[in-house]
Amino acid sequence: MRKFMNLLKKEIKELLNVQLIVSLLFTLSLFYFMGILVQGEKEKMAAPQEVAILDLDGSSVAQGLAQGLSSANFHLNKLEEKSKEEAIEKARGSGASLLVVIPSGFGEAVSSFQSPEIETYYFIRGVSISSTGASGVLKMVIAAMNDYLSSSFLKDKVPGVDPERLKNPLKNRDFVVVKDRIEEGSPAEVINFLMSQSTFIPIILMLIIIYSSQMVISAVAMEKENKTLETLLTCPINRNYIVVTKMLSSGLVGLLTAGIYMIGLRNYMGEFGRAPTSGQLTPVVERLGLVFTPEGYFFLGVSLFFAILCGLALAVILGVLAKDLKSAQSLVMPITLLVLIPYFLTMFSDFNSLSFPLKILIWAIPFSHPFLATQNILLANYPPVLYGILYMFTVFAILVLLAARIFSSDRVLTMKLQLRRKGLMGIRM
Amino acid sequence: MDTVLKVKGLKKNYGSLQALKGISFEIQTGEIFALIGPNGAGKSTALRIIATLLSPAEGEVEVLGFNLRKEPEKIRERISYLPEEAGAYRNQRGIEYLKFMATFYAPEPQVAAEYVKRGTEVADLGERLYDRVGTYSKGMVRKLLLARALMTRPLLAILDEPTSGLDVINSLEIRQIIREYVKQGTTVLLSSHNMLEIEFLSDRVALIDKGVILDSGTPRELKEKYSADNLEEVFRRAVR
Repeated sequence: MRKFMNLLKKEIKELLNVQLIVSLLFTLSLFYFMGILVQGEKEKMAAPQEVAILDLDGSSVAQGLAQGLSSANFHLNKLEEKSKEEAIEKARGSGASLLVVIPSGFGEAVSSFQSPEIETYYFIRGVSISSTGASGVLKMVIAAMNDYLSSSFLKDKVPGVDPERLKNPLKNRDFVVVKDRIEEGSPAEVINFLMSQSTFIPIILMLIIIYSSQMVISAVAMEKENKTLETLLTCPINRNYIVVTKMLSSGLVGLLTAGIYMIGLRNYMGEFGRAPTSGQLTPVVERLGLVFTPEGYFFLGVSLFFAILCGLALAVILGVLAKDLKSAQSLVMPITLLVLIPYFLTMFSDFNSLSFPLKILIWAIPFSHPFLATQNILLANYPPVLYGILYMFTVFAILVLLAARIFSSDRVLTMKLQLRRKGLMGIRM
Repeated sequence: MDTVLKVKGLKKNYGSLQALKGISFEIQTGEIFALIGPNGAGKSTALRIIATLLSPAEGEVEVLGFNLRKEPEKIRERISYLPEEAGAYRNQRGIEYLKFMATFYAPEPQVAAEYVKRGTEVADLGERLYDRVGTYSKGMVRKLLLARALMTRPLLAILDEPTSGLDVINSLEIRQIIREYVKQGTTVLLSSHNMLEIEFLSDRVALIDKGVILDSGTPRELKEKYSADNLEEVFRRAVR
């Protein structure tokens, strides 16, 4: 055990070097400052929007319209200019992003059921989040004005009836059915929740697998490049220790790195889980039982754990093929691809709707299973999760045996990936 | 005298290239035995097989009574190997490297501390031993690696080109250290293409070329046999 710990300590120290720590701190602070910036812009967007308004009509209808905008949480800046041109100049100088011009004769046109025209001027001064968000304000202003006007019409023509009932005579109730449960609620809420859950976890998984694999491959390649592997292999250490400590240290450092990236990402996104659309538990989601139970967390953890182990074991074998650190960089590609394929496929399509050959392909890739597990666990569909874990365990066992076999033979020194002419790749033993 | 190493009919192939074509030799306790020959003669391959790094295609190797194929772990506990192109971990300090390696050989921490103390003396790097290996010159790395190889007082030290990359003064020091360790009970198998060095250092020599041992004996025996003034001349005549 002393030898194992000695080796593990050295592996962790090799990986957790100053360069990595500096880059992690840099990333963390970058995300933090980006988060502050984004948060500031979001607050600006959430604040009541300032709308400049020029009323050239002066009718009661036009005044009512302005009042309607005020009550719809717009901060109105009434301009007293005599012409449209002067108002545009004034608004341009004031920093307002939207100017609404109510032409003369507007009230009369409304009263005679013609379609009156109002003019809106949107001032583009930049492309920040808040300024792009402000373009949506334009639609909201028009909608608020239309709503006010149509309600006014209806009140005049059909007094005593709520205009809302006339505008939306049809009422509906949404129900969501999941397995044997039927609950009233918005399907969009449920879908958004499921999507957010199956996006967040795969991102963590993807980061851990790619980082850790890269570290293992680099660790083995570095031993080869620095000519330290031969000495290590002649030391009285169980060679399986070399394989396991490389995997374990990379897994731990990969976990730490991914954790720091996720904290940074969380800071950046800031709003994770605040709005119902981005993953917060809503009553309908809770009533449908779409929550992670302790049992669900356990299975998801096991699934993630075995996917990481498969990645690490595969990386050890790929690391042996590397001649030096430079060639090690390109050897991460197969693992990255194997992670990205299920990541994108499960993100943009439903696994159950895929064709049979594609399903087999996704199933054969060990990294697919945690991606699929998240949704299956939420839907209490456990058998596929268990089969996935069993499959990953089998793949891991085969890969570890293969890695141990390579390390206990002279293949660890003689195996090399060669780029032959015509771009063909081959393994030289 | 006990036999430390027995090599019989050793063969090794790299694809279609036959690197060793059935070499045989024995080394007795307290001997310095050298394999000499040009680059590509098969010296390093033979040493790497005996050091348990490569597996032989054919033949038998017995180190300190242990069969190479059956008990490589037991052999590793008793030998140390210095590869020709070895390196140390660049992020470790010299002293950390010695401690790291000593832990694998020592049964307990006190013994490891003794190894490190001995290694520090052999390396003779002074305060530089506390600097990172990445800042060392090639010669300093070589001295550190030799210290690592000898600090455990192995029963068999396998040294591939031990003075490779060292200047004259350092080479002389290294040879002196090797001689001292042999007096204390270590047996040495080394390889070199520097035949003058071998002549000074070795008790017995085997001439190897193209995977075949051409001849073996003490430097004096070989010089007499081939009527030569030095081992370089012996080798030239043996190849003919």
